[in-house]
Amino acid sequence: MSSFARLAANWSGPEAPLRVLAASGQLGLGIPEKAFDAGVERKPHVIAADMGSIDPGPVYLGSGKMAASPSMARRDLEMVLKAARGLDVPLLIGSAGTAGGAPHLAAVEALLRSVAADWGLRFRLATIGADVPKDIVQAADSAGRLTPIGPMQADIEGSLAIVGQMGQRAFAKALEAGADVILAGRACDTAPFAVVPVLLGYPKGPSVHMAKILECTSLCCEPGGRDAMLATLEGDGFTLESMNPVRAATPLSVAAHALYEQSEPNRVFEPEGHVELSDATYEALDERRVLVKGAVWHSSAKPSVKVEAARFVGHRVAIMAAVADPGFIAVSDKILQGVQDGVAELITSTSDAPWGLTFRRYGIDGIMDWPTPPDTPPREIFILGECVAPDAETARAVAAAARQQLLHFGFPGRLCTGGNLAFPVTPPELDAGPAYAFSLYHILQLDTWEAHDALFPVTFHEI
Amino acid sequence: MTLSELARVVRSKNAGPTLLTIDVLFADEDTFVRGRAGLTVEAVAARYGRAVADVSVISVSAAKAVKIVLPREVPAGAPGDRDVYGAQQHVPLLGLSV
Repeated sequence: MSSFARLAANWSGPEAPLRVLAASGQLGLGIPEKAFDAGVERKPHVIAADMGSIDPGPVYLGSGKMAASPSMARRDLEMVLKAARGLDVPLLIGSAGTAGGAPHLAAVEALLRSVAADWGLRFRLATIGADVPKDIVQAADSAGRLTPIGPMQADIEGSLAIVGQMGQRAFAKALEAGADVILAGRACDTAPFAVVPVLLGYPKGPSVHMAKILECTSLCCEPGGRDAMLATLEGDGFTLESMNPVRAATPLSVAAHALYEQSEPNRVFEPEGHVELSDATYEALDERRVLVKGAVWHSSAKPSVKVEAARFVGHRVAIMAAVADPGFIAVSDKILQGVQDGVAELITSTSDAPWGLTFRRYGIDGIMDWPTPPDTPPREIFILGECVAPDAETARAVAAAARQQLLHFGFPGRLCTGGNLAFPVTPPELDAGPAYAFSLYHILQLDTWEAHDALFPVTFHEI
Repeated sequence: MTLSELARVVRSKNAGPTLLTIDVLFADEDTFVRGRAGLTVEAVAARYGRAVADVSVISVSAAKAVKIVLPREVPAGAPGDRDVYGAQQHVPLLGLSV
């Protein structure tokens, strides 16, 4: 009997307290051990973790690599796997290997297998793919069923990898077919945390709301942190408690966390519907625990999946230089434009082989274009040049030419004829390797649940 | 008084790679009401040098918070992006008079 089957068989119903332990919101970047152990001592009925995010940018999806180091990912997997098998409770991991594509899932599966072999652990593993075939996206686009989220130009043909965020359905299918451990590709952050409560009959609104807060572990606390977080569902509400005693969940800290990284503060969308938070209530049970109620789930008639894709945009070389000369700083915008023009005369940028060169002036406009200039000019500025070209050789050639022109660029009133730049390192050009950009961040609407389920195939492995 | 003196938290972050969201959190009802009054769409648009149509401002009473959403000028991590996580885009609001 699987850990979930045993749990379901003995479960009296949604009035009983069900404990969900969130091990990590970024599995593989180092689970704080003390709080996790404290959570395991509370005998959770399910352990869940999120391992991915779109936040680190398109490089992970595009390159097939994960953001976590393999050794730290293995350490974290060892912690959660040993704990879940020791308690014989389901372990659910979403968005394997940062981006949740096929190479990410395979890399994390290999680490999980090696941990299991080291400790002689036996269980039924389900892996769930999240790769979306191009023809499905193209068909949806042609039929007007592909909608951008914010300003995003779709490039389906140019996409190297496309993933879809799975909701709870694929996790539920795997659990009902006897999985003890689920390792999923790209998934909604909420799915691994919400699915067991929903399957055991807890109302879906509070279950998904709980998952939305819990997936970042103790970030919803005051002070926020990365320690394991415990949710206890009971009836139509749930209680949140950090497993680090210095972190307090307060009504304000939890309500505020529901806003985090969301463009809509009162609604969270999933493939199967959305949860409405407008009437949610947050009540302090004591100084460290909050009881939350009132979220309402609305099912949608047809599935909609958030799809993400990355394309290769060229090779990137970075140039690093600093300037203190006040005459240079005063006209640095004109100098940098002059360098752009000078390099373009040397190395032709054509529509077949375009290269791009951009400069950020830290101290002036490194982070944004400020609406107003600073009151006083900065004493020093740092210049980061970014060159992206179709091939590495062109990128290096453009960067080297730009560096040299910048070093000796003449400007009115120039005193520093020995050179305009202080280089912090040598060589000042750093090869940053292949560069990527997102090529899809869209809602893909599907006509049937069968079409949806086909995107997220479940495979079982006896470990 | 400036927003940095009135608010408890002023944070920015991506809401996906195409949108930026700025959350302004207040400690109590009085500061929330005062801050909300100053955080108009027009005032925010002026601080960022953006069109009014690009800016949305939503207040959330339960969290004593005001949420601002802006489209990103470049998708996160694409060449030319200057803040991949969008975590340092809150600063133009700090000096807003409230």
